[in-house]
Amino acid sequence: MTHWSVEGVESHLDGFRLGPIDLTLTSGHVVAVLGNSGAGKTTLLRTLGGFLPADAGRIVRDGVDLTGRPPESRGLGYVPQGLGLFPHRTVERNVTYPLEMHGRLDARARSRELLARFGLTDLAHRYPARLSGGELERVALARALAAEPELVLWDEPWQALDVEARHELGTVFEELRDVSRVPVIVVTHDPGLAFSVADSFLVLRRGSPGFHGDPAQLLTHPTDAFTARFVGYENVYDRLTLQRGSPGSLAAWLLARAGPGGIAFARPVALAPPSHRGAWEGTIRTTFPAPEGLAFAVTVEDLTVGLRVPPPISPPLPSVGDRISFDVDEMNVHPLENGVDSR
Amino acid sequence: MSEGGVPAPGRRRSHHGTSWLVLQLVLSGSLFLLLLLPIYALFTYAPPSEILAAATNPAVVTAIWLTLFASGLTVLAAILFAVPFGYLLARRRFPGRAVVESAVALPIAVPHLLVGLGLFLALALPGTPLYRFTNAIGFPVYDTIWGVVLVMVVVSVPYTILAAQLSFQAVDPRVLEAARSLGAGPANAFLTVSFPLALRGIVVGLLLTWARAVSEIGGILILAYTVYPGGPYTGPVTSTISVLVYNLFQAGNLKDAAAVSTVFLLIAFALFLIVRLGERSGWVPWRRGDLIP
Repeated sequence: MTHWSVEGVESHLDGFRLGPIDLTLTSGHVVAVLGNSGAGKTTLLRTLGGFLPADAGRIVRDGVDLTGRPPESRGLGYVPQGLGLFPHRTVERNVTYPLEMHGRLDARARSRELLARFGLTDLAHRYPARLSGGELERVALARALAAEPELVLWDEPWQALDVEARHELGTVFEELRDVSRVPVIVVTHDPGLAFSVADSFLVLRRGSPGFHGDPAQLLTHPTDAFTARFVGYENVYDRLTLQRGSPGSLAAWLLARAGPGGIAFARPVALAPPSHRGAWEGTIRTTFPAPEGLAFAVTVEDLTVGLRVPPPISPPLPSVGDRISFDVDEMNVHPLENGVDSR
Repeated sequence: MSEGGVPAPGRRRSHHGTSWLVLQLVLSGSLFLLLLLPIYALFTYAPPSEILAAATNPAVVTAIWLTLFASGLTVLAAILFAVPFGYLLARRRFPGRAVVESAVALPIAVPHLLVGLGLFLALALPGTPLYRFTNAIGFPVYDTIWGVVLVMVVVSVPYTILAAQLSFQAVDPRVLEAARSLGAGPANAFLTVSFPLALRGIVVGLLLTWARAVSEIGGILILAYTVYPGGPYTGPVTSTISVLVYNLFQAGNLKDAAAVSTVFLLIAFALFLIVRLGERSGWVPWRRGDLIP
């Protein structure tokens, strides 16, 4: 059972300040690091990996302080953005690389086992340039796991992957968590897969830790506009937008319930006229089908609000220009603690 | 929209493609012919029997051997010194880096007579400290093979330095970071990742260095016009192939000058061809993993 603790780690680079970051990880634990571009996600991974110096704090594994150690002696499997595969080595020789570096005598046997486990046996002698996105991801993961690292750091694993490959990788990730039991810190922009694999989330905002907690908490208590949008809230407004509403309007009603960072709520159900009448009414701007039924964007005074009609959808369907009404449940609006990034 | 007036997009595109292709062929073709012109003239001026005679003439063979040997030493020096230099320029930030980069390229840009003169003043004038030093350690440069190698190195290693710098810069730093985290120390990461990935560009730089070295004459005219035995060279008094051809031309011996030139051209062409064919057949290591089949 590996136990990692990141204690107050800071890194200062060209005027950018990361931290202080506190994290604990144990075997089989997956932490997803979220945040806007430039929030410091990659900087965090590179600091943990030993590529950037930690200007404060400690990185401790099972009681051993690794803070000052070079990258090669931290026992990590680091997968950088773009995967960092060796273009001049075949799949098999990519996977054997860490084993060669650690002088492992069982390199061939171990790499065969990994290739088989990740479905790469038939591709063993191909070069990375000849593989698909999903195959490349599996090679990167097999290579990262080859020397039995104590922690996997993975930067943007799902970047530029098609839908099928994403799904496939999600399965691989679950296996990683449940079978290999290696703790993982993963940086991502992808909510779906982050929710499917992560046990906890760390949200970075301009280098500082924002939300840190489990998925359920993140869903029910988004702390800022970024996390609210990330977890799928369609309607996210800052205070400035809401202040433009006239007294008695939806904007004013929301403003009364908003936090310092504004407010977020999921798409309310549109009520079919004339049998239902909601508290608010708007004009339909766009309609599009979504997994949860039919989705609309309606304007209510100056505010654009996303609505939905859950299946089964029975004709006549509302169309652009129609008036439609809805309610906003006071129990389901989430005040946001932190203001939007004003960069 | 009327039917006949506007050409179909497909036809229009192919029409464009044709004129573009013709333009490319005309421009490239005329340049290629110009490049071939001196070679054609050299090949056809002397009859094959004289070319054969030149190829077997001991004086010519000695000059060719000297030129290849000295240029070989130059390439060796480029591997040992210029490749690390290029790596330094690619990976390290230090004050005065821009000045160093400009100074490195300078020997390519100035007339090589200047380079020869500079080396002569520094190393071949009796009484100067470097003259005494080079003689004391057994590397006299004036009219020796060391002088030839020295001029060749100064005028040709910048190609390797620049090629190595660009090639090392082109290696994705994230690939190197992956290697480091997977257990490779800095030296191992260099040997297993940076160097193999930069090798192809380095080899191109070394080829240019070699080509520039064998074709050098300006600096050699001043520092080592005649090469006397000494150091690793133990043969008769000779000169580089470029000086030999120059001497034959000065003496009005055009047929021999052309014949010797032809022999040397064939050797140089064969070397380039071997490298290219090696690349295409895929047995050379620096193309492995490329997308191009």
